[in-house]
Amino acid sequence: MLILLRTQSEVRLRTVTRLLAAQLVAQPKQAFSTTTSEHYDIIIGGGGLVGTTLAAAVAKNKTLADKKVLLLEGAPEFKGFDGKGPYHNRVSAINSNSIQLFKAIDAWSHIEASRYKPVKQMQVWESNSDALIQFQHENFANGVACIIENDLILDAVYARVKEACNVKVLNRARIESVRLPQDSGCSNSEVTLQDGRQFTCELLVGADGANSVVRKQMGVDVFSLNYERMGLVATLELSDDAGDNAVAWQRFLPTGPVALLPLSEKESSLVWSTTVSHAKELQAMPPEQFVEVLNEAFCRQYPRVDLADKAVQALNAFFGHTSAQHHRQYPPRVCNVKERSRATFPLGFLHASSYVCRGAALVGDAAHRVHPLAGQGVNLGFSDVRYLVESLASGAYAGFKLGDKQHLVKYEQKCLTKNVPIMIGVHGLHTLYSTDFSPVVLLRSLGLQLTQNLPPIKNLFMKQAMG
Amino acid sequence: MWRRTLLASRNLKATPVNVVVRKVSNAQQQYTTLENASEVKHHENLSKDWWNVNGPMAALHALNAIRVPFIRDGIISRGRVEAPYINTTNVLCKQQLLEVGCGGGILSEQLARLGATVIGLDPGEELIKAARKHLSDHSPELCARVEYKMESIAQHANSNCEHYDAVIVSEVLEHVDDKTALLEACVRTLKPGGSIFITTLNKTLPMWMGGVVLGEYLLNIAPIGTHHWNKLISPLDVQRILDTMDCHTVLINGSTYDFWSNTWRWINSSQMCYALQAVKQRISY
Repeated sequence: MLILLRTQSEVRLRTVTRLLAAQLVAQPKQAFSTTTSEHYDIIIGGGGLVGTTLAAAVAKNKTLADKKVLLLEGAPEFKGFDGKGPYHNRVSAINSNSIQLFKAIDAWSHIEASRYKPVKQMQVWESNSDALIQFQHENFANGVACIIENDLILDAVYARVKEACNVKVLNRARIESVRLPQDSGCSNSEVTLQDGRQFTCELLVGADGANSVVRKQMGVDVFSLNYERMGLVATLELSDDAGDNAVAWQRFLPTGPVALLPLSEKESSLVWSTTVSHAKELQAMPPEQFVEVLNEAFCRQYPRVDLADKAVQALNAFFGHTSAQHHRQYPPRVCNVKERSRATFPLGFLHASSYVCRGAALVGDAAHRVHPLAGQGVNLGFSDVRYLVESLASGAYAGFKLGDKQHLVKYEQKCLTKNVPIMIGVHGLHTLYSTDFSPVVLLRSLGLQLTQNLPPIKNLFMKQAMG
Repeated sequence: MWRRTLLASRNLKATPVNVVVRKVSNAQQQYTTLENASEVKHHENLSKDWWNVNGPMAALHALNAIRVPFIRDGIISRGRVEAPYINTTNVLCKQQLLEVGCGGGILSEQLARLGATVIGLDPGEELIKAARKHLSDHSPELCARVEYKMESIAQHANSNCEHYDAVIVSEVLEHVDDKTALLEACVRTLKPGGSIFITTLNKTLPMWMGGVVLGEYLLNIAPIGTHHWNKLISPLDVQRILDTMDCHTVLINGSTYDFWSNTWRWINSSQMCYALQAVKQRISY
């Protein structure tokens, strides 16, 4: 026993000397980092919709309640949201999965108390044939999605974040560089801001968008495509024939889809994906001309593929529908575009080969970016948030470190299972509808019409897209 | 199925085996290792790789994903955790745990991270060193709650009678000759009402064929002689031994290892591996 004790103390002594030696060698750096870096359990890089929601969700989770969270946002402090003011041009179609998340973090009541528009039905049709599909729940019992302004969502989740005592928000905080355990050999991740402040954390979450700094440091492969298209958004005023304006409209034009998302009885939001030059042209047009071009886009007759039209008719006949039963609705007329509401943004496809590594994880656009044609982008981000918080909570409750890859991998598996089919689907639709080559038009028209006529398949798609 | 078995046993052979137990037959209280010196050496050589999650210990690291919740929920289910702690990361605070055959401390650290105070025993000096080094280098916040000792369980039991809320014998039993002596010492350290948690390989034909015959003799994945049929033990036998010590088995869960994804999962059969919980009864006079 004595011998044992002696060996033990010897070991300790040796370790101490070694540690001292190591400290002496690395002293300048050590001294620097110990005086300036602050430690958090989780640092979220990026205070956008997804990053802020993640902070709120972590704060709300009982198991993670004792974790210190730092939210880094490059922009100045969020100004808040005015529910009485004009509608913002950046809106999102939020599916029921995301609404459940908002309910779980107590942010939904905040949104409900302000303004949002439930969509009862969606109609999607194309320009080269008669094919058409309509999505709705039986008897319009439930909305298929809600159109909510991005700033309202942000306002709601910020309110929850501000209540939380374990979350700190740092504005005007731009990440200069990141060091992960795989590079440094330390057990923590390190973040340095552009103003020189340093932080360490067990888990760094990259919610910093498509050009994520965190992702670059993780060294994961990224599959990305530039669609050479731009999205144009605007807030529109509708003429009096809009009714209750509860339908979302999307028409695939040869240049890309144009969509009207209802905001209120008299207003809708526009998302128009088109070629870069066309988008610039549309943005620069005088309002009257823009409205005219837009109205024309929804009803203009394009060169048609007769064979596809006949096939669609035959298919409808086969299912016992006459074309009269299958009447197409037309969107309400747009009568004005709100001043300075037109804005453009580039469209692309991006998917990271891996969402996690030791000490870091990606959420939202940092991990995946899709075409807005199915309104999936931000919903996939919110589903990432759900999965990440679930995995972190069950991992922490099993004694894992937050940055341990072993339980982070479970987050990645859940995300990939959900995200990849949707992303492939959305990318596929984009590709399918960017051509007017007759055989493709024929096939896509048949496919769309078949889906419209076969409720089980249609419901499957709806379930996927609407959470 | 065979490949899975084989892989499972290959990965399991490299476990903290070097448990020192009392030779019951020896009246002079002589302590001896039941593993031969080369076996101890073998595991000590692995000490550098012990914490490499992608190294030879990968399966053992992966096992944490099911054994920690098994132990955690086992302790909760006996009503030994106060309600406010449940579902928090401090769920095991106030729990005194003993891990017998802790190796490099993979399980001990993770249990301590849930608030428990953990004593880890292992006779391998290199392993204890590796465990201590990892603790101070990578988890300094746990230093106050974790202690590693190079001591035999029998010795430890003499001075820590009825001291622990739970004793953990994980992936150890299959390497010990005198299981009764080991378990007896473990149970002695348990408080009445405390639980002993055991994970090990079952003594079944599929396990033996895959692990020993295929793995060791035909494919040489593991050195010949790593596992012996007569060292494996079935859950029923463990239960019978524990029953004689007034320890009632309350749970036996079967588990298996998927080598392709390096994950463990619970299965409906305990034919391959199993986890067992037994509770020391309060003696009523």
